[in-house]
Amino acid sequence: MTTTATTTRTLRAFRATPFTYATLMIVSALLCVPLVLVVSIALSSDQTVNANTFTIIPREFHWENFTRVFDTSLPMGRFLLNSVVISVFSVLGQMLSSGLIGYAFARLRAPGKNGLFLVVIATMMIPTQITMIPQFILFKELGWINTYLPLIIPNFFSNGFNVFLIRQFVSRLPREIDEAAMIDGLGFFGVYRRIMLPMLMPALIAIGIFTLTYTWGDFMGPLIYLNDETKMPLALGIQYISSTSAAMQAPPWNLVMVGSILLTLPMIIVYYLGQRYLYEMDISGGSAGVK
Amino acid sequence: MTDLAEAAPARAGAAPERPVSRLGGLRSRRRKEALWFYLFASPWIIGFLVFLFGPMIASIYLSLTDWDSFTAPNWVGLDNYRQLLTEDPVFWSSLWNTVYYAAVSVPLGLLLGLWLANLLNKHVRARKLFRTLIYLPTLVPLVAAAMVFKMVLAPSGAVNDLLGLVGISGPSWLLDPVWVKPSLILLSVWGVGSATVLLLAAMKGIPRELYEAAEVDGAGSIRQFWSITVPQLTPIIFFNLVMGLIGAFQVFSQVYVLTRGRTQAPEDASQTMVPYLFDQAFAFYHMGYASAISWLLFVVILGFTLIAFRTARRWVFYETEVK
Repeated sequence: MTTTATTTRTLRAFRATPFTYATLMIVSALLCVPLVLVVSIALSSDQTVNANTFTIIPREFHWENFTRVFDTSLPMGRFLLNSVVISVFSVLGQMLSSGLIGYAFARLRAPGKNGLFLVVIATMMIPTQITMIPQFILFKELGWINTYLPLIIPNFFSNGFNVFLIRQFVSRLPREIDEAAMIDGLGFFGVYRRIMLPMLMPALIAIGIFTLTYTWGDFMGPLIYLNDETKMPLALGIQYISSTSAAMQAPPWNLVMVGSILLTLPMIIVYYLGQRYLYEMDISGGSAGVK
Repeated sequence: MTDLAEAAPARAGAAPERPVSRLGGLRSRRRKEALWFYLFASPWIIGFLVFLFGPMIASIYLSLTDWDSFTAPNWVGLDNYRQLLTEDPVFWSSLWNTVYYAAVSVPLGLLLGLWLANLLNKHVRARKLFRTLIYLPTLVPLVAAAMVFKMVLAPSGAVNDLLGLVGISGPSWLLDPVWVKPSLILLSVWGVGSATVLLLAAMKGIPRELYEAAEVDGAGSIRQFWSITVPQLTPIIFFNLVMGLIGAFQVFSQVYVLTRGRTQAPEDASQTMVPYLFDQAFAFYHMGYASAISWLLFVVILGFTLIAFRTARRWVFYETEVK
């Protein structure tokens, strides 16, 4: 951070005062209170939860709650499995399609391409709600309601944002690489498969992470398309459990919070494993991409 | 966007290396390349037609009909729009609530993010720890976050406990028509970490010399923040503002999880546009009416985005314009 010339004194703008530390500590503490509370509730006994006597800092440690969610009448394991299936196929679909389509828009010459690219850009401005009802009808006509298909299949056709992202990424790669490969006899698909795909991997992984984050936490899509509880992903499942407990009876908040933790942990893991790819994409998406 | 079109003729010269007659070979190569383009792009083209363009046309048509999704649509012209705008108080309150939510949560999140990023940009020990703690909440999926806030904002929840420590007896957040919108805003502010990290990354790119020069001129750290940091960041602030507005207008999961369970939801005080659209479509099967709401939502988003772009000329600072 500090260059050799400025090591002796710190610029005023970068000086950390006790006020800086105090603020950061208070803000981080406030932001983390809900997280600590989640863990505390997740570890509470049923009695504590029913009596509403849990505390912010955990006092009880009922670790068995974490296994209970898989063998009680609550289909939490099923929810989790559903989430995994839907997310894996969605991520796969986006990664397979976005790369190929983005490469075509960046490199191949064809009449009508520039006009088509304008359409790609324009699609990013349409709110999903506009197409929500006709899509629902379409999927209903296809007999896809209450299946994973409406949540997975559209991902195999990519979307404006991801096509744009890949196109920008490919445009920055030197053209000489694929030209040389073509002279060596590779076709367009060969160039993509052998040359482009390996170089695109960071961008595709970033797209995979975006897709996973979106699909894993998606609530409205499953709410529209799924009504059978054994097909619900975790995001919808925990809401379902928290809202459908018998009359006059409090929802099993400790188990719901275990569900919330199960829903959050993969995101934390993915973030830590994938952050360098995300920062790479921030650079292309934030500065080079917009220009 | 035109870089490719311009680059194409210059590079095409390198192409005919094969033993075919130059012109004919070039032309067939071009045709082949175009074919490959359409082949590779076909998933997007098909997806666009089937999942976007077709549904958009259908949505325009549906918005002009009265349709319960079971019997044939009944043409009513602009009646849905007339009814929404003149006879539906719930639509107006959902519109007002959405604008309220967007107008407070987005600028508030940006200001807080800017402030926190600025603090993290200083020579702070354990900066990585602070950054992680601030970022952590944004990794919690919305539904889970809303679940948590349901507990935190309960009448005897953590927020009121904390307020109690300083002698304030807090409201019944989610059950109180006045406080339910601030509750939703509080949840959105909890995710301030993503803006913070983005702004922090951008802050690192500000040339140090600017601060050195300001220091020589005797500017204090607050002055430097407003005169150097903020102007330098305006393009990214603007980007965040526009994306934030678009996202805020489409708020759904939080509203649904936090304030559903109709018996306890304060009457329409937390109804926003997308949940209202969802209710009309999937609870009451007013598909035509709901389609009309979706187009009004589009108009509102477009309107606010255009306003943002209009005012941007006055406050967004691009380096390239100066050169």
